[in-house]
Amino acid sequence: MKVLVLIVALVLIIALLAIMSRNRLVRANISVDEAFAQIEVQLKRRSDLIPNLVETVKGYAAHESGTLEAIVAARAKSTTATTVQDVAAADGQLTQALRGLLAVTENYPDLKASSNFLALQEELSSTENKVSFARQFYNDSVRTLNAAIKTFPSSLFVKSAGVTARPFYEVDDPQDRKAPQVKF
Amino acid sequence: MDFRKLASANKLKSTELLFGMALLVGVVVWALLTYFGKTGIGVVPFAVTIALISVWGSYWTSDKIVLTMTGAKIVSESDNKQLYDLVTEVCIAAGLPTPKIAIVEDNAPNAFATGRNKDHAVIAFTTGILRVMDREELQGVTAHELAHVANRDTLVSAIAATTAGALALLSDFMMRMMIFGGGNRRNNNDNDQNPIALILSLVVLILAPLAALLLRLAISRKREALADVTAVAFTRNPAGLRRALEVLAADNTVVHQRSTAVAHIWIESPLDESKTSQLFSTHPSLASRIATLRKMEGDA
Repeated sequence: MKVLVLIVALVLIIALLAIMSRNRLVRANISVDEAFAQIEVQLKRRSDLIPNLVETVKGYAAHESGTLEAIVAARAKSTTATTVQDVAAADGQLTQALRGLLAVTENYPDLKASSNFLALQEELSSTENKVSFARQFYNDSVRTLNAAIKTFPSSLFVKSAGVTARPFYEVDDPQDRKAPQVKF
Repeated sequence: MDFRKLASANKLKSTELLFGMALLVGVVVWALLTYFGKTGIGVVPFAVTIALISVWGSYWTSDKIVLTMTGAKIVSESDNKQLYDLVTEVCIAAGLPTPKIAIVEDNAPNAFATGRNKDHAVIAFTTGILRVMDREELQGVTAHELAHVANRDTLVSAIAATTAGALALLSDFMMRMMIFGGGNRRNNNDNDQNPIALILSLVVLILAPLAALLLRLAISRKREALADVTAVAFTRNPAGLRRALEVLAADNTVVHQRSTAVAHIWIESPLDESKTSQLFSTHPSLASRIATLRKMEGDA
């Protein structure tokens, strides 16, 4: 009788552990999806700011058309991207083009003094922060998922949970390397 | 120093302390049994129920209660666009929904967060902190407060407060029983009680509330240290929070409400820390927090 109870208890504990590890994978997978959606939301916000920004800059600095065209082109490319790598690549190009524009505006005191531009600049720098935090959160989520896929016991349920290792979101940005890095 | 390792070390430490509290409850129940016999145990459910009701009521409505007690006013996105953006940025880094944002009219720089879970969270800043800190420092402060939300520190402190409260009540009941019904235990057939066990249980009952208080404060300090580390995990910028803490250290004004009831929720303790020993404070000293953040910067 006692042995039977013990066996039943053991089976229950193992079943519980199995359910928990499988749920861990499913949850990690969902949070990667949500994190990627958040990146796209923030990229869309930034994308929506661009027409207004281009118009404003044009009014003061019409002959910077090269810089402006680069931004419009990068924005167009970013709207068609779907995979993580493509979105990241388009994101990187647009980030750089925008940085180029903001550097150029330094030469136009009238533009810098316009209240419209100041409001846009606050909006843009905040959106830039949001984009970069969304990337960071996505990469943290991928890290958690990929670790769960590789480690025991959750590694046993990779097939049944239908999850796969996800790629990191890597933006090729020379300025990022200069930013202080935290060791992992 | 790796923030992931630091975070798990702090989490482990506060879990150990919570277990310490559970152990303390066990010891007190043993002492009650030894000293008063089975009749003594009857008071345990009363003490636990009273403590539960008083603490969990305020836990459940903490967002509303604290706003009233501190006089914080909720602000909307259009009221303060920059502050709203700043908080939203850190929320994205933390994967949290944007909480309610409030401002307290007070010249002393300080901030707090509360709420029973991430969907009922409130983060509040004093007008003083918004004036003296730059964006990077405020981001560090915001990350520290949102770390409390992410780590569910309102729940942790509610559990600690419930246990400490129940133990204080038990000790109080016991004193009354000793004064008004001291002979009770003789009615049980335990005249042959070991005198050493009796004295030991008496000591336990007298010291338990103090021990519970110390454990509760130790838990609070560990959760503060953990929030600093989690904040760095959000912003990856230990320097921002470090500079913010230095601003707080250099400033010697304190928030006007010196109510001890809400002292633990502010980022910097509003009580005069120099007069109380480290053992009795809700926060680790600013100097040690700054030193830890500096170490994290060193590794960057």
